[in-house]
Amino acid sequence: MATQIRSGNRFRNMRIVIVDYGMGNIKSISSTLQYLEIKDVLFSADYEVLRSADKIILPGVGSFAKAMKRIRDANLDIILEELSVKGTIPLLGICLGMQLLGLSSPEDGFNTGLGFVDGIVTKFDSSACKIPHVGFNQVKPNLSSRLYISLPVFPDFYFTHSYKMNSDTNIHQSMCEYDQEFVASFEKDNIAGVQFHPELSQGNGLQLLKNFIELF
Amino acid sequence: MSTKIFWCKNCLNMSTRPRISFDDRGWCNACQWMEEKKTFDWSSRERELKELLQKYKSKTGNFDCIVPVSGGKDGSYVAYMLKYKFGMNPLAVTVRPALSLEIGDKNLHNFIHSGFDHIHLSPNSKALDRLNKYGFIEKGFPYYGWLIAIMTAVIKTAVNFKIPLLFYGEDGEIEYGGSTESKNKALYGINYMKRIYLEGGHQKVFDRISQDSDITEADLSFFKFPSDDEVSEIGLSFTHWSYFEAWDSYRNYVIAKEHCGLIEKEEGNTDTFTNFAQNDQALYALHAYLMYLKFGFGRATQDAGIEIRRGSMTRDQALNLVRMYDNAYPAELIDTYLTYYKMTKEEFDSVLDKYANKDLFEKRDGIWQPKFVPGIDFEI
Amino acid sequence: MLRKRIIFALIYSDGYFTQSRNFRLQRVGDLKWLEKNYQFQKIASSLDELIVIDASKGQKSITSFASMISDLVNDVFIPICAGGGIRSMQDAELLFKSGADKIIVNQILLQNPGLVRELISNYGSQSVVASIDYKQVNGINEVYIDNGSSKIPQRLEEYIRYVELLDIGEIYLNSIDKDGTGFGYDFDTINEIARHISKPLIIAGGAGNENHLIGGLAIKEVSAVATANLFNFIGDGLPNARKKIIDTGVNIANWSPVNS
Repeated sequence: MATQIRSGNRFRNMRIVIVDYGMGNIKSISSTLQYLEIKDVLFSADYEVLRSADKIILPGVGSFAKAMKRIRDANLDIILEELSVKGTIPLLGICLGMQLLGLSSPEDGFNTGLGFVDGIVTKFDSSACKIPHVGFNQVKPNLSSRLYISLPVFPDFYFTHSYKMNSDTNIHQSMCEYDQEFVASFEKDNIAGVQFHPELSQGNGLQLLKNFIELF
Repeated sequence: MSTKIFWCKNCLNMSTRPRISFDDRGWCNACQWMEEKKTFDWSSRERELKELLQKYKSKTGNFDCIVPVSGGKDGSYVAYMLKYKFGMNPLAVTVRPALSLEIGDKNLHNFIHSGFDHIHLSPNSKALDRLNKYGFIEKGFPYYGWLIAIMTAVIKTAVNFKIPLLFYGEDGEIEYGGSTESKNKALYGINYMKRIYLEGGHQKVFDRISQDSDITEADLSFFKFPSDDEVSEIGLSFTHWSYFEAWDSYRNYVIAKEHCGLIEKEEGNTDTFTNFAQNDQALYALHAYLMYLKFGFGRATQDAGIEIRRGSMTRDQALNLVRMYDNAYPAELIDTYLTYYKMTKEEFDSVLDKYANKDLFEKRDGIWQPKFVPGIDFEI
Repeated sequence: MLRKRIIFALIYSDGYFTQSRNFRLQRVGDLKWLEKNYQFQKIASSLDELIVIDASKGQKSITSFASMISDLVNDVFIPICAGGGIRSMQDAELLFKSGADKIIVNQILLQNPGLVRELISNYGSQSVVASIDYKQVNGINEVYIDNGSSKIPQRLEEYIRYVELLDIGEIYLNSIDKDGTGFGYDFDTINEIARHISKPLIIAGGAGNENHLIGGLAIKEVSAVATANLFNFIGDGLPNARKKIIDTGVNIANWSPVNS
């Protein structure tokens, strides 16, 4: 049974800006957005460009420490706070991008993150499970979530990470299990984060991105 | 009265294949044999082989067995086993085909230099070419002359060197689907060979060539079987390696690659998905194409059957390959064939027309196209 | 629950995709052929990942390879792992920019571990897959590099331990003996060593049909099964195989096709 996944009409003219701080699989994300018929996709670290966005995506592949350094050096921490925390531009963090939105991570030395959500990143326990957590795994969608609308009840997404986020606060988190439960995604007002890669998760990922575009 | 055309339920052998038979599951005899091979008591056949070899092993350092080879995987495997596993002293023999391919020549060279005594026979090329041509026209066998010579010339050599044991590779009828009458016999004689492998009509071609004034009896000497007396005088016996050991042509390929220097055709083939078999002569593609026109199955079907039976591929997987490769008019070789046979395109096409089974094929834009889809049973 | 994966490996050489048999390559077709006979857009939903390896002999052109990757990845929404001949950070960067989500490395694991560490430090260990080719010589599993032509002094188990210490993300373990034969995976070796491997393990070499894949997936310590058999899975081979595998209850993701 094939699923028809395209953007609704009024969303096709949206501008989506992918934060370019030199780390992240930009090509995969942009070709997915292209498939969803979003034509106005930019990669930038420039304040004016980001300010003009209808939606912002924060990608990330690599080390938390390195990423935060680059983000701070480019003043992106201040920019994103103004636009999405004080402002209302929807922001989606993907993989490392999602972890950066949290409070801290010990990867490559203890570092503070952007602190937009109350989540703490720690490493998986190598004595309990193989690291990295790589492959498709099932996510238990939070009942209040917008990201998982029209998705199967226990959808598979592609994960590839050695560090994961947990939170004691209600950040509308949807959990995944690998050795123990961890935050697969969170949603706090206009800010969302997904630990998995929607752009690598077949039809499920496409639908989730579509939901972000249309419902945030 | 209509006939049902169908495919083996296990491999993709077609019901049109001569001498094929099916059980009530719809499995052809090649597949039934494949099942039997798994539980077969090969140890008793190995004992028989050892006894046979013991009987024939030369005590004087003479050649004690003769193996026809082309440089390809099967002959190389048999020669390798006889010499290096069983300590015999085989003489390998090749009958030079017309239009030999460079990769075939290279493989033969590699085989010989991997450690074998070898004789390269070149039967009278005028006679060979004429027999090939008449075989093509009269019987739809494009290398008929060579098919005869790989028996007659080889036997003549055996008689000449007084080698009493001749090893062929596999019995194609049993391994690939056909008459099973020789299944339980180790040794057999010339008349069986004449009947099955030359599919009768041997005389028809010889009658035609006898009318050619430029070809003499002497020119044909490599194409004549020795007399029954000559054969029995040296006590010549013929056998198939596949009687003594479960035949596995992929295994032969692996061994030949490892021990006899076999190389493959890097650019692949247009009519099948393998690249490691039948690489010795350009006429093989035409032979395979004629088989396709006569019966509806080509080289890819044969190769698919081998893969299915050895468990590497399922029937569904193979079907994709058969549909992709079987219908392969050898366009890139047509000029070569016309030059070789000294025929015009019209003459050549009219031979193809003669052999195309009109129940199975129809001509569109000058090429015979199948009226059927492989795997989908139909009626004619 | 973490799923197991079915991975298709494309062996690329000088502009063509090939069928490898014990590392002897048969040219099959170029990207157009692949698109026509495999229709990756359609069959991608029967796969969990793609690995593309540049096995060109002699001087490899990473720019041609990267350009092909770039074309290949359009409309395919699964992870792509690319490699073969990566010798510098620039090579890796080019592949990532062209659409690769992970890179696969072989020779540099032994000959330039510093580069491997740098790649991991830059892109994360989850982005680097270690490829190990081995074959049995006199009953012992020996490791070969350089398209299977040069034996290294370390034996398989020892080498795996060394590679794990570099902190790569996954191990792609390939049997040269079984490669392309359709005989099935080297279960003797895999069953013996899999439980000692601490990184996610992808097994390769010998799969011809879905039964082999099922056998591989049944081994507890195997994270993923890979096949590079271009011929056997042509046409609807992969979708059919996946359906049959799901029907046997194996723990893999169940996708519905994305309409192109």
